[in-house]
Amino acid sequence: MSSDNEYSDQDYYDDEDEDVLLDDAEDESASEMDVDAFDTDYRLSAKGNRKIYEVEYESLSQGDIEKLMKDDVDNVSGIFGVDEDTASLLLRHFEWNKEKLIEKFMDNAAAVNAAAGLSVPEKPHPDRSQSSGVRRSTRQNSADKVKTSSKTKSIIERISPPVEERFVCPICFDDSQTEYLSLSCDHKFCTDCWNAYIASKIKTEAEQWITCMGEDCKIVAPNAFIRKSLKNDSKSWQRFQELLVRHFVSCNQSLKYCPYPSCTYTVSCPSASSKSSLTQIVPIVVCGQSPTHKFCFGCNIDDDHRPVVCGVARLWMQKCQDDSETANWIKSNTKECSKCQSTIEKNGGCNHMTCKKCKYEFCWVCMGPWSEHGTAWYSCNRYDEKASIDARDAQSKSRASLERYLHYYNRWANHEQSAKLSVELYAKTEKKMEEMQMSSDLTWIEVQFMKKAADEVFKCRMTLKWTYAMAYYLDSGNQKELYEDNQRDLERAVEELSELIEQPLDPEVVPSLRQKVTDKTVYVQKRNEIVLEDTAKGFLEGRWSWNVPVEGFD
Amino acid sequence: MSGICRARLAEERKQWRKDHPFGFYAKPTKAADGSMNLLEWEVGIPGKQGTPWEGGVYKLMMTFPEDYPSKPPKCKFTPPLFHPNVYPSGTVCLSILDEEKSWKPAITIKQVLLGIQELLNDPNVNDPAQSDAYTMFKNDKQAYERRVRAQARENIPK
Repeated sequence: MSSDNEYSDQDYYDDEDEDVLLDDAEDESASEMDVDAFDTDYRLSAKGNRKIYEVEYESLSQGDIEKLMKDDVDNVSGIFGVDEDTASLLLRHFEWNKEKLIEKFMDNAAAVNAAAGLSVPEKPHPDRSQSSGVRRSTRQNSADKVKTSSKTKSIIERISPPVEERFVCPICFDDSQTEYLSLSCDHKFCTDCWNAYIASKIKTEAEQWITCMGEDCKIVAPNAFIRKSLKNDSKSWQRFQELLVRHFVSCNQSLKYCPYPSCTYTVSCPSASSKSSLTQIVPIVVCGQSPTHKFCFGCNIDDDHRPVVCGVARLWMQKCQDDSETANWIKSNTKECSKCQSTIEKNGGCNHMTCKKCKYEFCWVCMGPWSEHGTAWYSCNRYDEKASIDARDAQSKSRASLERYLHYYNRWANHEQSAKLSVELYAKTEKKMEEMQMSSDLTWIEVQFMKKAADEVFKCRMTLKWTYAMAYYLDSGNQKELYEDNQRDLERAVEELSELIEQPLDPEVVPSLRQKVTDKTVYVQKRNEIVLEDTAKGFLEGRWSWNVPVEGFD
Repeated sequence: MSGICRARLAEERKQWRKDHPFGFYAKPTKAADGSMNLLEWEVGIPGKQGTPWEGGVYKLMMTFPEDYPSKPPKCKFTPPLFHPNVYPSGTVCLSILDEEKSWKPAITIKQVLLGIQELLNDPNVNDPAQSDAYTMFKNDKQAYERRVRAQARENIPK
């Protein structure tokens, strides 16, 4: 999967530089071309089968991204007639916005070069060294400055010629050093200091934009200079390459770095690059490094939150974080005053309650007015009296919204919990499969139906989980009823299948169990598809309406 | 740069002794056994003439990390200073002291100290570090100045 997507990619990224592309293609070896062709075919066929709830995306390795970067760099260096390092710096300065760079550069190349830290600005800025004291070689510096800015634009590095006067590095003051380097600003520092400085910038600050060590100097170090300064520190150089790739990826809306630790893959998903598209699709992607590197291209929820779109999923996660525990506690520990609806916790005493807020006196058991209780203190037998029922009615209304939330939350949490227990379920299933092979004449391959069923149950529980988040925010109406019908069908089927695979094994009925489980698995699979597809279609058609404002929806 | 750190600080010390701006002092601290600790300096910054800070010399501790001069020193007024850009702990908030902003290995101790002196009477309101001095500076310049003058009197060197 690593080297598959050059073709479609280049098609996507490079619209105007055909000739550059051709050069590239020629460079590639024949064998690589074969592999590419094969992979492209494979991808095309995969695309044909793409489900409506899946998005089109590509996984790119670090090398693939470096190729994309190189294409841009070559293109720019060709247009401007500058070397690759300069082109790379210009692009990085413009956050890889090639069009903007070309426009500005054509307009005023000198200003762009100065702003990008490629050359010293033409007009000498007021020398602050007078007030701020020392400047060992001020005179020499400013003389050089004029010289370089007048004749060069690109960055040049100079390696020391044998020096007559002894060179003292202004950083380490080591006068035994004879080798020094400088950027186009001509601020000279010894190679060891450069090495330590650049390595520290890369390693501890993860910085790809490294400026000269001189005070207030904005001149930036080109890649070749960094490579040279790092000497044999290939680890830092590698990290620098990675930082360049990360910067490129972060500048491109249709690319996203895989969030899994130490993974260097990138996913390209142009269809999910705009905010508005996220109200129509749920861009769940998997990077090419490992099938477990599954993440949402549109948001930071580290879960496959299909079928619900990012905005709604985010609202739900936020709500759960804020409210769940509190709501649960309120539900189990409090009642509302039947007159003013204040929430009351009864933490001791008798059933004769006096609301602190409205001074209403009532009975904690039946919630009716205390005055009607006469002398029947401490034992309430008036539960069915009209006044008590009315009081409880009023209370139940105020509880309704809380109950409603908990209804959805509990189902959500239940599926999440069940999914978490899937590890155990897999272990149990594994054991059952072994048992089956011993007790019946089924072979290993024939008992795989159990594993398949367990897989399916897990998958569907994830879907179900998120359907509850969505249902909570869905506006009531026919659409919601249809949605909940689909949800109910799936849930019932999943629970049935789950029961089938979890019940104790009876050797007598294994063949019929196998038939039942296989049938049910297929059915569940189909129901899951229906839920995912119908919901996704609904988003595309704009069929769903919400009972709260959701980001991106009007 | 751990190798560079001490050599550079020794050279800074040499340069400082040769020549330093008027009214300032800067010296490495002594460890318990009497040896010199180059990684921690005690310095004094005088308030500029003609400002409410005049007369005071403000004591500051400079702590140098092992990777100095790749990383900037930490500068902390002791005791903490009443100033919009000084944290309640005494730490100075200044762009040249931030490695992700304007810190450069070429900046010398002298330049840092002059930079802090400059900051005293020219606070950066976009980067407040303590609320007391910041709100007073914003809302009541006169009271702020009175407070600064009082602080200067407290810091007259003996």
